[in-house]
Amino acid sequence: MGGNARFDVIVIGAGHAGVEAAWAASRLGCRVGLCTLSEATVGHMPCNPAIGGTAKGHLVREIDALGGLMGLAIDATGIQFKLLNRSRGPAVRSPRAQADKRLYGRWVAEALQGQPGIEWIFGRVGRVVVERNRIAGVDLEPVGRGMRLAARAVVVTAGTFLNGLVHIGPVQRPAGRAGEPPSRLLAESLKALGLRWGRLKTGTPPRLDRASIQFSRFEEARGDDTPVPFSFLTNRIDRPQIVCHQLHTTAAVHDLVRAHIGESPLYNGQITGIGPRYCPSLEDKVMRFPDRERHQILLEPEGLASEEIYVNGFSMSLPAAVQESLVHALPGLEGAVMRRPGYAVEYDFVQPTELTRTYETRAVAGLFLAGQVNGTSGYEEAAAQGIVAGINAAQRAREQPPFVVHRDEAYLGVLADDLTTRGCLEPYRMFTSRAEHRLRLRIDNADLRLTARGRAVGLVGEGRWRRFEARRDRFERNMDAVRTSKMTGDDGRRASVAHFLRRPETTLADVTASGALVLDVAPGEEATDCWSVETTCKYRGYLEREDAVIERSRRQESRRIPPAFTYQEMPGLSVRRHSAKRHGSRVSRQPPSP
Amino acid sequence: MFATDDTIVAIATPPGSGGVGIVRLSGGRAADIAGAILAGRPRLESRRATLTTVVEPSASTPIDRVLATWFPGPGSYTGEDVVEVSAHGSPVVLQEIVRAATAAGARMAEPGEFTFRAYVNGRLDLVQAEAIGDLVAAVTPLQARVAFDQLEGTLTTAIGRLDRDLFDLVARLEASLDFPEEGYHFIDAVAAGREADALASRIEELLATSARGRLIREGCTVVVLGRPNTGKSTLFNRLCDAPRAIVTEVPGTTRDLVSETIDLEGIAVTLVDTAGLREPEDRVEAEGVRRARGALGAAVAVIVVLDGSRPLEADDRALLTEVADRRRLVVVSKRDLPARWGVDAIDADRRGAPVVETSLLGDGEAVRRSTSAVRTTLAHVIGSGGCEPLRDSPAISNIRHVRLLEASREALRRAARAAAEGAAEELLLADLQEARRMLEDVAGRRTPDAVIERIFESFCIGK
Repeated sequence: MGGNARFDVIVIGAGHAGVEAAWAASRLGCRVGLCTLSEATVGHMPCNPAIGGTAKGHLVREIDALGGLMGLAIDATGIQFKLLNRSRGPAVRSPRAQADKRLYGRWVAEALQGQPGIEWIFGRVGRVVVERNRIAGVDLEPVGRGMRLAARAVVVTAGTFLNGLVHIGPVQRPAGRAGEPPSRLLAESLKALGLRWGRLKTGTPPRLDRASIQFSRFEEARGDDTPVPFSFLTNRIDRPQIVCHQLHTTAAVHDLVRAHIGESPLYNGQITGIGPRYCPSLEDKVMRFPDRERHQILLEPEGLASEEIYVNGFSMSLPAAVQESLVHALPGLEGAVMRRPGYAVEYDFVQPTELTRTYETRAVAGLFLAGQVNGTSGYEEAAAQGIVAGINAAQRAREQPPFVVHRDEAYLGVLADDLTTRGCLEPYRMFTSRAEHRLRLRIDNADLRLTARGRAVGLVGEGRWRRFEARRDRFERNMDAVRTSKMTGDDGRRASVAHFLRRPETTLADVTASGALVLDVAPGEEATDCWSVETTCKYRGYLEREDAVIERSRRQESRRIPPAFTYQEMPGLSVRRHSAKRHGSRVSRQPPSP
Repeated sequence: MFATDDTIVAIATPPGSGGVGIVRLSGGRAADIAGAILAGRPRLESRRATLTTVVEPSASTPIDRVLATWFPGPGSYTGEDVVEVSAHGSPVVLQEIVRAATAAGARMAEPGEFTFRAYVNGRLDLVQAEAIGDLVAAVTPLQARVAFDQLEGTLTTAIGRLDRDLFDLVARLEASLDFPEEGYHFIDAVAAGREADALASRIEELLATSARGRLIREGCTVVVLGRPNTGKSTLFNRLCDAPRAIVTEVPGTTRDLVSETIDLEGIAVTLVDTAGLREPEDRVEAEGVRRARGALGAAVAVIVVLDGSRPLEADDRALLTEVADRRRLVVVSKRDLPARWGVDAIDADRRGAPVVETSLLGDGEAVRRSTSAVRTTLAHVIGSGGCEPLRDSPAISNIRHVRLLEASREALRRAARAAAEGAAEELLLADLQEARRMLEDVAGRRTPDAVIERIFESFCIGK
């Protein structure tokens, strides 16, 4: 066959998973083919124009610590930053930022264009080519007459494109994302491999015309005065911050929803896919929680210059005319112009129990899946899978050992472990409560946890590494200083600063102000330097106890199940579980087929 | 581990001869196998006893006339199909029936395997499964009662209530961390600390039953000590209601330990009679005295017997001092003889230990009264006054449950203290989650997603 191109890694899709995968694989020295339909949708945000949030912000920090793109991209294009849970403990503080979504996509595209080793392929992949249980490449559409691209590894990041079906009231149209057609042939080719499938649903709210809204009628929602960046490479963010606006639904809105509920595909049986409960549609909010008098709504600009306003909290799939009347029923939006209606989209996903913790399919060596195609939701979850899948695709192509992140090491590990051992019954979103080692997995120490690993595998470049080494050395010096410096308490007893810092009421700022301690901090990195020292001291007792637990479970995990072990004789295991694949002591707990 | 896909058989009644013995079959083929060993394959009706004959399957030789009852699963003890065959209680007959059943395809059950299947099939939780072991091994009626309470789920219910409330607290606190921007007030750290403290107090109440619960479950040892010929063996025999120990007027008659288990107000008390304490006259007596002191080490309580018809000696006072840190009861014996001293003579030495004056000669009313007084006081001494009605509060009698509840209480107290000091929610949660794990080790585990499930089912979260 003519026109063969030999790639180390081919990445299908340039959404948040695809771009991290392509970036990582090329940084590891691979020749990467990045397949996308159009340059306009690279790093696209089809739903909420924001990055981060509780636990999601942790994922972004970890992606950054490993040498990924997302943290830098949002720092460069964010228009309102907010550190969530600021009043709570350091382990659950998490950054969130709204993006100028057009600038964000362009920034990501430019970053990839500037990266040597990535070749852009504008076209639709119709088939993955498998030879003897090994990936051989992909065929572009039209299959049979198009081009075959040979590759050692392939990462599929098809998002919601696989048999996507958009619902707006009774109107249904097959669709991928943002008006692009769905990938039906690719879905069939993946199904032919015998992977287990399910169907999920997600939704998005209507977009309003900025000029048609009287913002003076709403309460303002502002970000932090001093933005906390996502990336360890960003010292500070000086860009002016925008203001969002907050309002609430009313009884009239709820009545209107109830009156039209029969027209909602979610409630009349038209949609069978399972939606995320943490992101309920307006229909669900009204029908499932009838006692709640009102629900919060935020009006968020999609960019500095964008004419579109995202109506956060108002996602629905009612007919467009009903959506319009619902918007107009909101006090202050009586004259608002709806530019695009909200919709629900159903799509196929692969049960991620078909994957190992490197996101490689168990069935086909060298075939990786990452992102929403694995049943997750959220740009951050997608990017988190993308970077790990990209690294591992490169490792596979270069015949290097797999790169596995553990649960006690990073949210990246929690994500991979939850997905591949438990599968999805609804779109998977990260929460801090999913991490049993939450106190350890903080945003202030993501670099201390992961940058050396990123360096070892080849993703962390010289500049980031030097900066990290200096930061790590400062941290260690500062930890020595708090352990050896003494201070006197209110009761006249002298003890180390570290000892006093274990008390909730003593802060590092108090101690340095008293002159008991001089910390080594770098200009621009003061917050990270101080924060990680203080938290390490404060959490010491808890972390020591947690260490014991980690040690125990690592031992359990490394216990091999004897090859002769007969699952059939194990009481309480169902037949499907009997056939589960095993790795270490882990046995997949697979959800029932949807 | 046991396989659970085959049909098992065993003799369900205790070893030895009895009027009736039961052979139990459990598993998918129970009815089938029963059919193969019953003459003429009678149709067994659900939960109805059928009079029939067990035959040796290959030769059709009759083994015994029996009553066969079929309990179809899942409403049976094990949750599987069960057939119980009540035969005449000769070990030989019962073994023949088991042999016939194994010849027809059943497998001999391992010890505890029926209960194990009941547990695996969700018929019993872990506490209940453990309680069955206790119930079967019960010696006193009260032991049986406590085990039965646990089997009925009284303890499970109490722990289940605690576990549910703790779980709810954890879910609300987790929600406040993971969903800070919902405009919801779930719960703050201070209120969570107060709730944790209240839960710790509830565990405390449950644990208060444990001292008595364990006493009931495990019983205890009481040793009878005193100088020679003070009437220890007489008292011992009266308490046992049997002439277990040899009684003579010769000092030093008892040389070895003599023990007997008695039911003392529901508690299985192992009573140990000992050699009188004195300078030994030979090596056998010396060993007896050494053993008497050894028995003291294992005992929960001591009965010190002093002879009221002879003058008090320094050794008597020394003995009272020696056991002053033990739970103890002082018995002044031989009150049927002229008293040489009054109870006030040992007031200083006994340091508050209760005294019972006894007259144990003959079989008159005085003897019964004396014995009864010793029993009542002894029960009081070992039960540390714990005479609360057991039916009202579940008694925790299993040491594993006690340890887990204690650990859970400690974690809750840590959380409460941390909250009072102003620690962050995530630190409280580290302790609350630990407390939860401990309770779940008693009551059974939830899935890893349970907290998130609870949050979604209770609150409208998300935008």
